[in-house]
Amino acid sequence: MQLARRLAGGPLWIVPLALGILLILVPYFNLEYSIVRQLQLAMILSLLVSGLNLSLGFAGELALGQVAMYAAGAYTAGLLSKNGHTDILLQLAAAGLAALLVGVLTGIPGLRLGSWSLAMTSFFLVLLLPDVIAIFKEDTGGRNGLTGILSPTMFGRMLTPEDYFMVIAVVTVAWFAVMRNIAVSRHGTALRVLKQSPVLAASMGINVFRMKLMAYALGAVPAGLAGALFASLDLYISPEAFGFTVATTILAASVLGGSASVYGAVFGAFVLQFGLNQSTDFQKYSLVVTGAFLIIGGVLLTGGLSGLARALWRKLAAGQPAAAPADRSDPDASAGDEVPAVPGKVLKVEGVAKAFGGNQALKGVDLTATPGRVTALIGPNGSGKTTLLNMICGFYRTDAGVIALDERQLQRMGPDQVARTGVARTFQTPNIPEGITVREAVMAGRYAGHRATVLEAVLRLPRYRKVRKGDLAEADRVLDLVGIRHLEDAEATALPLGQRRLLEVARCLIGNPGVLLLDETASGLDEDEVERLAEVIRRVRDAGGTVVLVEHNFQLVLSLADEIVALAHGELMAKGTPEEIQNNERVMSEYLGIDPDAPASPHVVLADVLTDGAQDGVGR
Amino acid sequence: MSTDSPGNAADELLLEVRGLGTGYGDLRVVWDVSFDVRAGEITVLLGRNGAGKTTTIRAISGLNKIVAGEVRYRGESLAKVPAHQRVRQGIAYVQEGKRVFHSQTIEQNLLLGGYTRKLKRAELRTEVERIYELFPILAEKRALPASSMSGGQQQMLAIGQALMAQPRLLMLDEPSGGLAPVIVNEVMERVHQLKETGIGILLVEQAVEASFAIADHVTVLDMGRTMLSSPASEVSDMTLLQDAYFGKTAG
Amino acid sequence: MTLIWGGLSLGAIYAIVAIGYNIVFISSKTFNFAHAQLTMVGAFVAYTGLVTWDLPVLVVVLMAAAAVAVIAAIEERIAIRPVGDMHNILVTTLGASILLDGIAQLTWGTQPLTVPFFAGDEAFTLLGGRAYPVELFLIAMAVLIVVALGIYSRRSLTGLALLGMAEDREAALLRGVNVRRMAFMAFVAAGALAGFVGMFVGSKTFAVSTLGAALALKGFVVLAIGGFGSMPGTLVGGTLVGLAEAYASRYLGGEYANLAVFLILITILMVRPAGLFVRTKERVV
Repeated sequence: MQLARRLAGGPLWIVPLALGILLILVPYFNLEYSIVRQLQLAMILSLLVSGLNLSLGFAGELALGQVAMYAAGAYTAGLLSKNGHTDILLQLAAAGLAALLVGVLTGIPGLRLGSWSLAMTSFFLVLLLPDVIAIFKEDTGGRNGLTGILSPTMFGRMLTPEDYFMVIAVVTVAWFAVMRNIAVSRHGTALRVLKQSPVLAASMGINVFRMKLMAYALGAVPAGLAGALFASLDLYISPEAFGFTVATTILAASVLGGSASVYGAVFGAFVLQFGLNQSTDFQKYSLVVTGAFLIIGGVLLTGGLSGLARALWRKLAAGQPAAAPADRSDPDASAGDEVPAVPGKVLKVEGVAKAFGGNQALKGVDLTATPGRVTALIGPNGSGKTTLLNMICGFYRTDAGVIALDERQLQRMGPDQVARTGVARTFQTPNIPEGITVREAVMAGRYAGHRATVLEAVLRLPRYRKVRKGDLAEADRVLDLVGIRHLEDAEATALPLGQRRLLEVARCLIGNPGVLLLDETASGLDEDEVERLAEVIRRVRDAGGTVVLVEHNFQLVLSLADEIVALAHGELMAKGTPEEIQNNERVMSEYLGIDPDAPASPHVVLADVLTDGAQDGVGR
Repeated sequence: MSTDSPGNAADELLLEVRGLGTGYGDLRVVWDVSFDVRAGEITVLLGRNGAGKTTTIRAISGLNKIVAGEVRYRGESLAKVPAHQRVRQGIAYVQEGKRVFHSQTIEQNLLLGGYTRKLKRAELRTEVERIYELFPILAEKRALPASSMSGGQQQMLAIGQALMAQPRLLMLDEPSGGLAPVIVNEVMERVHQLKETGIGILLVEQAVEASFAIADHVTVLDMGRTMLSSPASEVSDMTLLQDAYFGKTAG
Repeated sequence: MTLIWGGLSLGAIYAIVAIGYNIVFISSKTFNFAHAQLTMVGAFVAYTGLVTWDLPVLVVVLMAAAAVAVIAAIEERIAIRPVGDMHNILVTTLGASILLDGIAQLTWGTQPLTVPFFAGDEAFTLLGGRAYPVELFLIAMAVLIVVALGIYSRRSLTGLALLGMAEDREAALLRGVNVRRMAFMAFVAAGALAGFVGMFVGSKTFAVSTLGAALALKGFVVLAIGGFGSMPGTLVGGTLVGLAEAYASRYLGGEYANLAVFLILITILMVRPAGLFVRTKERVV
């Protein structure tokens, strides 16, 4: 346990790196030929699995076409070699590009619809493969396979089998370094957000389609590399090497290793290559075993074996409590801090109307929220509050009317674009991605606003480092602001409801939003938490932020709002200061169903019951 | 409706809710709620938004899990009875938001309402005709899809659909929600008529005034707890309810 | 015309597979990857019954329907019900399809088996083209199933409950519909249907262990064209896919058949991703 903890303290990438170096040096160990070959095939398989993981495990989209990209890479490399271009580096580059092309071309239509369509579209590629190879029979050799591939060279030097082993190992290690750098970066976090909820991702300014396409197409690259490596391994390729069985083996390895992990791919691939594929019986029963395994794996092993390992590791390494609930922070510690100015913008809603079928949900609503003020939106259930909120955020299209943030009109934008324009929102049920820390969850709020490309992330270029530094500093700042900084290393999903809501607010604030939309943020919070939240909202307002509050907790609304807008039946019912609203008879009768002229009589006074009760409730 | 409405003895204690606790997943909304519903009476559940009224009904109907306390229906605990079985036993729940089946016709909606009855087609038709008598507007539009109707009519349909199951206990969640005041009164009138048939009614409302007028019993919830449970005749002084909702102390 | 009969009957098979997808989709909003494999197993069972055991056609049809219904029931219990996450259902039902492929291979081998058709295999001339009895039978059956399901779902209480469940699960539950049981029954019914049609599909295509994968993909394309949940859409989609495949292999060559279908899929997904017969609903947050 001591050891585990000490290891956990150091940089975690040391272990895989050491193993990688060991792998590269295998040719010096004089291993048996058959083992060496299995190692090579296992490395190639792990590249394929890793590509699938990017799509399935990180973006949450099942793809079955890894084999097609693998073939695209192999045939590209093979044909190049046959025509005299034997340099393996050239082949790798060309094969990677060819696979990327296949990925983009099939990903665009495949990702248009829900999850099944990508699975099927990419699965179709596997079926098409022999046909396409047959169509170009003269070049590819059709069913007979492609022969005449020349031995690989590098910089004009012929590669020995030992050299070639090292090439495969280096490519594999390099890819996993890339993969690791993607996973442990803002892009990796963004992908987890996406997998958790596309709606959440869009509301954070992430273009869902582009992000998924990026993951799927990028996952094609290692498949292409694997293809090139495979072509020069046997100097012969045929359609049989790219069949349905390979496709399912890749999936099985991914599920086994844990598709949401980086190194699980290696683990799954090695187990399948060395374990199951060894026995000749397996050939016969491979489909049965794979099929049964996928069912069991899908039901039981949500995180794969690496998920189990990680859980175990956490238990070992966690002498200290994982998510220290700690003392409820000390709310005053940060209270004195100066809150830097929040550049709020003017949100203007004019004559917005929306019908769902025959039901006119909104009938021309106006609303203006200005910087430095809290504008509350109230109304009975079904009055159109949530509809309006969703329209501002771009989830629904407007039938009529204008929504603008400062001068920019929002009503024709998609949700991600609206978010990038500066609209940030929380959700009624907090939406928190799995597997990331509080700090990461908050930093994800800056993903769209402060960009660093995937390439910059992979190579950890200066711009990425700069953005990351900004992410960290800003995360500290907003976590201080909402008072949960002491929890920043805790697993985000482990937080209790109240802190999850504060986390959502922090995630919104980190992007310096032009307007902050809070959707029933206080519901389910206890009195202390509500007070904390109110304090945060006041600070944002005082710093110049624009806040729109949709809230049932009327006490909170009255104590916070500078202006209250009341909706009923999809229309504006009243608008004014808390005092005006409180004395508005229409609001009374519509919202609360109280007729102020009703006769009074003694017996029990409801009002007393309610207020006393409320205090009782809090006291507990 | 009156003749074959279930053999509820007058005043029979239909539903006893004792110390109910429930919520959504790990989000606990209702902590300690208690009240009764008797046959031929209307119990009104009041409270501000988020007080736990809807969640309470959802737990009685079986949509949410009962985490604490007890819910007894005609003397038997409901804890282990699945939701669809509760409908068979005579508990009907009309959800807020007029959740009828929009793509089906009015008549199909009503027929589906009688799903639990195990009747022959012809008998079911007779039942549908009864509902048409109760809500003539539905008869006029019987062949149209439910989506073509106005909000008030959809509410009638939703209630009619629930009645098709011949409930002993009818739970209505904000039947007046989103309706114009005139229609609210009509809905309330209908509800009042229904209780005359011997059905026990649990009514959740925000339209305090309108629902008060027909209530036999009033239960007030706040923050997931029963604040008051009392015969309607003993409760009054509506003006002060306003202060309760808005909170005198605030501002 | 000969080509058209061939194409239409092929399309009918795909449509029937798509109908099976649809039944499951409507009742439980899930996609059963293995449905085509169920049809394949139906074809194999029919072969065993008709050829190996030499049983009467009617008995074999019922036997196949029952056997596949049982397999479907098992699949639902082990590969669908225990799975919490929608993403994982894709993986588990794919696993079920691979498992069935494997079992079929072990049991019936990898060679295509001829399933005899009860009305003979004498081609005759119809509307200026040569057609086999089984082809017309398949076309008629696809149309009949769609019409029958349409009537059933609108007329019977169970059908109404199913549609209601598709629209609003919770509301259906509150009308006393046992939604879990209903979804299970629909799944089993889809299995029975797959087993029932297996014999006729096998007569047209041979019973072979690679049948499942091909049917799955084409059935999916049909679904994509018609739109998820649309029964009439399956007929239109089936016609389109069947004819495209027949024409492509006739005029361009066999290796272009799948390619033509793939192009249709891509085009539909790009132009009208929700399919021809389903209106896109605004998503609800």
